[in-house]
Amino acid sequence: MDFEPKILGIACNWCTYTGADLAGTTRLKYPQNVRTVRVMCSSRINPSFIIRAFQLGADGVLVGGCHPGDCHYGTGNLYARRKLAITKKILEFAGMDQKRFRVEWISASEGNKYAEIVEEFTRDLKALGPQNTFRIEKDSRERI
Amino acid sequence: MTNIKQIEENLKREAKRLLESKEVSVVLAYARGYDEHHPLPYAARTAGEVGNLIFNEYCTYNLARYLTKYPPKTKIAIAVKAADSRAVVQLIQEEKVKKEDLVILGIPFIGMKDPKTGEEIDQKTTCHMANPVLYDILLGEEIRDAGAGSPYDVLAELEAMDQAARWSFWEKEFSKCIRCFACRKACPMCYCDPCFMDASRPRWADKSPTADGNLMYHLTRFYHLAGRCIDCGECSRACPMDIPLHLFHKKMAKECETMFGQAAGMKIDDKPVMVNYGNQDSDEMLK
Repeated sequence: MDFEPKILGIACNWCTYTGADLAGTTRLKYPQNVRTVRVMCSSRINPSFIIRAFQLGADGVLVGGCHPGDCHYGTGNLYARRKLAITKKILEFAGMDQKRFRVEWISASEGNKYAEIVEEFTRDLKALGPQNTFRIEKDSRERI
Repeated sequence: MTNIKQIEENLKREAKRLLESKEVSVVLAYARGYDEHHPLPYAARTAGEVGNLIFNEYCTYNLARYLTKYPPKTKIAIAVKAADSRAVVQLIQEEKVKKEDLVILGIPFIGMKDPKTGEEIDQKTTCHMANPVLYDILLGEEIRDAGAGSPYDVLAELEAMDQAARWSFWEKEFSKCIRCFACRKACPMCYCDPCFMDASRPRWADKSPTADGNLMYHLTRFYHLAGRCIDCGECSRACPMDIPLHLFHKKMAKECETMFGQAAGMKIDDKPVMVNYGNQDSDEMLK
């Protein structure tokens, strides 16, 4: 059987989650590998969530937020950008493949962009194979 | 460079004067431990206690660690070396202490020695600055020449490794952790109460030192200190298992400097980088 990666998607309520909704309502086809969690703002994401996701067996983490300048709360995603940039550097220096963590700005009207990114990310992760760096134990994959 | 005995005398004289004039209620400095090579952090509260104060090359501890332990508005005099003064500046930036409550006794000195190994401490483990960035009274002459070398040179070897090799390096290092939290205790920037590791909801990691919990603890701590670590190297010196935590902290400090153009604890008017954003920020940093 082919390897199907598990992706944790963390999407901001106002842009990316609505964008994902739009992808659904316009019946766009995209891989089912992403499990999306909705947060109110991309700056609400605690970097520990991402480490925890990798520990519990996620093969990739996709974070989506509003385009910089378009944040529902004005500046949330500007803080998020710095936080997530540092998170990426931490993962990279610890020895995690940085291609497994992706941050994208997807607005509420970009349903097609959401579908494209999920497709591209899934393809990349299939090429990389299962993530075994941070994973705690084999069957922990079943927990997400 | 001022003689170390001279610095000690100046420290005693100033501490005595400050306590006698009631300008401060406590002087944070060092006292003798069980021998000369193992000093202890010491809080002198009366002029009589000033006689116990010492300063020698083994007085490495970062006393800024104790500033947040006192109630607000306590008048404190604190002896700081270069990196320690950056910690004080960072605490002022974070509004944990107020400048007007402090009398900062700056110690310009190069050539501190690790009490554990006796080796000289250089830019491999610290920021390698000679003069405190902020002080009210300088206890010796300013040092003109701090010596060559960047504090980030030591990272070259790890940066050159591929990802798998780096992971096996850190995996091995973190597996040594016994979760004694000495790094957290020694760190002037770790003042959260409760620490995320002590919280039970959410429980980020097992209380016992498991491999995954160690990874969670250290990586999250590196994140919490990103842009705040002032590179004193006390975490690594405090570690009983000799985990080179300072290397990761240095890497994060380096990345913050490159990406956001600001080093931690240099100016009291700066805003810490992780609670700030700039017009020059771009999506390049996420690549």
